[in-house]
Amino acid sequence: MMPMGLNSTQFISYHGIKVKNADLIEDAWGMNARFCDVIELLRYVKPVPEKKLTDKLIEKIRKNY
Amino acid sequence: MNSDYELITRFIKGEQSCFEDLIHRHKNKVFAYISLYIRDQALAEDIFQDTFLKVIQSVKSGRYYDNGKFISWVMRIAHNLIIDHFRRVKQMNTVSNDNYESDIFNSSKFADSTIEDDMIKRQIQKDIRKMITQLPDDQREVIILRHYAGLSFKEIADITDVSINTALGRMRYALINLRRIMDEKKISLTLS
Repeated sequence: MMPMGLNSTQFISYHGIKVKNADLIEDAWGMNARFCDVIELLRYVKPVPEKKLTDKLIEKIRKNY
Repeated sequence: MNSDYELITRFIKGEQSCFEDLIHRHKNKVFAYISLYIRDQALAEDIFQDTFLKVIQSVKSGRYYDNGKFISWVMRIAHNLIIDHFRRVKQMNTVSNDNYESDIFNSSKFADSTIEDDMIKRQIQKDIRKMITQLPDDQREVIILRHYAGLSFKEIADITDVSINTALGRMRYALINLRRIMDEKKISLTLS
């Protein structure tokens, strides 16, 4: 008989552990696991400034500073 | 890659392009925070520019002390500018932020997709944005700072002047509320 848990837990290699943007406190509260569907939805939105806005800002800085 | 601090130091010494590198590095996070908080696109763009201009003024006048958290400091400046704006609006008793309807996703590019896919994607994005705006201010802010600005809870707590536990509690309530709205409005990622 296999010891409990050994045949049910997926093995993750050290390099497979994703730590980018991880927050240990958030992990401790289990929010990523519990609300993965909501978080997935939030990731769908990626507001970015238009190029002309960034160019305008850089132009302003070049002129004034 | 140069650290933020190295770029700031070189900018102070006269290398103009170093600040431009900083803008390119952090613009998406700063813009995401401001534009999801302020629904008026033109106003969000003004505050986005003002944030970086204020950063320059502070750096040039020696008011930036590096503790390895440049982006967190920039976000605090953006946060204060947003608060200042709402204070001014309240004093003037003018129109509400909710009256503005603008699509901040105009700049999103959807390569390799059909027009119909684009329309569905835009609709989903609008729905998500609407969901976020329905949250109470304190919950909305923590969602934006964590998921769009990428700040840690420690940094969020510092910026919003609350304890880490309070920030976490707000996040938990925000996620619960978002899921409730998702269920009520039947919003999901229907694209396959």
